[in-house]
Amino acid sequence: MRKRLIVLSVPVVAIAAAILASTSQGKTTHPQAATAASGTVTLTGWSVGTTEEALLKQVIASFQRKYPKIKVKYDAIPNYDQAMLAKFSARKPPDVFYLNSEKASTWIADGLIAPLDKYISSTKFSTKPFYPRLLAAFKAKGHIYGFPKDWSPLGMEINLDLLQKAGAKAPTTWAQLRSVAQKLKPLMTGTAKPLCLSAEWQRALAFVYQNKGNVFTKGKPTFTSAAVRSAMNFYVQLQKDGLGDTPAKLGAGWCGEAIGKEKAAIAFEGNWAFPYLPDTFPSVRWKFYPLPKGKQKATLAFTVSYSTSPASKNKQAAWVLITYLTGKTGMKLWTSKGLALPARSDVKVNFPAPSRAPLLSEARYAHVWNWPAGWDKVWTVGNNELSAVMEGKESVSDMLSRIQSEAQSAK
Amino acid sequence: MAAIAKRQRGKTLESEGLKEALVGFGFIALPIVSFLIFFIYPLGYAAYISFFDWGPLGRVANVGLGNYREAYHDFLFHKALKNTLLYTAVVVPSQMALGLTLAVTVNQALRFRTFFRAAFYFPAVAGSIAITAVATYILASDGLLNSAVGAIRGTPYTHSWFGESSTALWSIMGLNIWTTSGTMMLFYLASLQSIPTEVYEAAAIDGARTWRTFWRITFPLLKPGHFFVAVVSVIGSLQVFDQAFFVSGGGGGPNYSTMTIVLYLYNTAITGTRFGYAAAIGIILFAIIFTLTFVQRMLFGRAEVA
Repeated sequence: MRKRLIVLSVPVVAIAAAILASTSQGKTTHPQAATAASGTVTLTGWSVGTTEEALLKQVIASFQRKYPKIKVKYDAIPNYDQAMLAKFSARKPPDVFYLNSEKASTWIADGLIAPLDKYISSTKFSTKPFYPRLLAAFKAKGHIYGFPKDWSPLGMEINLDLLQKAGAKAPTTWAQLRSVAQKLKPLMTGTAKPLCLSAEWQRALAFVYQNKGNVFTKGKPTFTSAAVRSAMNFYVQLQKDGLGDTPAKLGAGWCGEAIGKEKAAIAFEGNWAFPYLPDTFPSVRWKFYPLPKGKQKATLAFTVSYSTSPASKNKQAAWVLITYLTGKTGMKLWTSKGLALPARSDVKVNFPAPSRAPLLSEARYAHVWNWPAGWDKVWTVGNNELSAVMEGKESVSDMLSRIQSEAQSAK
Repeated sequence: MAAIAKRQRGKTLESEGLKEALVGFGFIALPIVSFLIFFIYPLGYAAYISFFDWGPLGRVANVGLGNYREAYHDFLFHKALKNTLLYTAVVVPSQMALGLTLAVTVNQALRFRTFFRAAFYFPAVAGSIAITAVATYILASDGLLNSAVGAIRGTPYTHSWFGESSTALWSIMGLNIWTTSGTMMLFYLASLQSIPTEVYEAAAIDGARTWRTFWRITFPLLKPGHFFVAVVSVIGSLQVFDQAFFVSGGGGGPNYSTMTIVLYLYNTAITGTRFGYAAAIGIILFAIIFTLTFVQRMLFGRAEVA
């Protein structure tokens, strides 16, 4: 009898949970913000290295000096996406937080991000200095949902010693990329190859844009277009001809590590190579160059914004913090060490060597990695298909058809 | 007089029984309540939201069986299902075999027996992510294992174990068979030690030798152990996530080879913010685990003490 009671409690609680779930409201409450910007504002980002964290704390300190009435509480959390979704669901998000351009469409569509338009108009804040392509990643339906805090494009990292030994100059076109790789081939030993080619669209797509191709045209996926196909054929052919390979085959976790371990002479990575490469592999001599040109110059850009949420407590102070961090002074201080590139054209920084100038020069033709909601699954499929092609198990055409059908049914 | 005493004794016995029961309930109250709150409540909640398009801020739309229909047609879910079932089919018998072998080994009067018991159990205690991180270095294309193979055969060997779709999942299987064997060893050890020694003495008298004794006597008497290990192993294998996530960076590995059901569920919920569809996947997984456990129960019968 008692045993039956205990066993019975299980489905009872399960059903009770379902009933309780059905009564939970799907709406947010909007607490009224304080009249003047004051009080505590919570700033949350993902965990970064000690150098970056120290620099951010410096920027926050300078903000506190200018606005003594606002106290900033900074938190770096691991498992950022998971933790943030939990905070959003609990209606207790931080006041200011990072928004990755990759996730922007999804989080905005879910109603998690607050539009900033009324603050922009009431404080007459100018959004002109932001690089338009970077700002566009955080716009939806004519509203602005955040300001880019920094960015990085993809550049071409080249091992200078190997380049010198091969007697070659940095390639500037697709044809030169092939010929320079051919010259480097005899110098690479063991599993090393001249090029590091990630089996990821987050790298290969740059070549598609350079070929005047596009995977999303006029609101519709266009993976099977001719320009996309020929660009991907070029990328994959580099591996087939033995001029490059995936990081795993080379013996590295990613292409930055491949450069550091000298398993590759040329890789396509971004500003995140700093401070990783100088810190982890200080003996390797390398330099950034702009990506080679296809039919046109193009590269990919990755950016993050500071944003706030409708359910955030102190939205007035959040606005002040956001505009400081992405304003001229704040951004200049944040990007002064070269750990990130400024997202504003009116912030000029003298970077310490090695030079980021080649990366900055790509701003005009950089395509931000920013996609409609539901495309996370498209890229999961895309990268798996690309890895199948680079294992020689599938043709480029089949890969593109498969990704196209996935993109057409994306939710 | 005797009758009164008997009645009084009866009453005391009754109140003693009640007291005992209350004490018992008191002890299990806390675990039962936390079990209900942290396992059963979320299960009910997940079952409910699986019938909706559910976002981080709550209900977006009512889709009825739409999520389940989507899973039925979802080729990525099919890949995850196939990988997970293959993984389970290989890992469960291997874990049972290895666990039993270790238990039998360690049950004998060896020297340093305690050391071996601890050593075999150690991988289960070390964090799975830490072990996987070390494994990625050992199994890298220029890692420890390949260097050893290359040294033995004379020519360099550069196969990327986690980086090639033909071996990625199998490498994870091997890793997990090794790490969980210690736990299975413990379960089998408990079951082994509950077999009365008279049985072995009788077998020895009848002239049975070690191998025959093992197969004809020990193995069948271990039925409760087999059942428990099989159930725990199946449940754990169907939920494989840590290694798949770490090795593939969340993407499901080269050519979908490390995409498992829980990894797909995780991506759908956290990256896709589609909690309703993720809940449906979770409920489907629950149904699979429940069915398999039920089938095993029928096959093995009740787990009695020998």
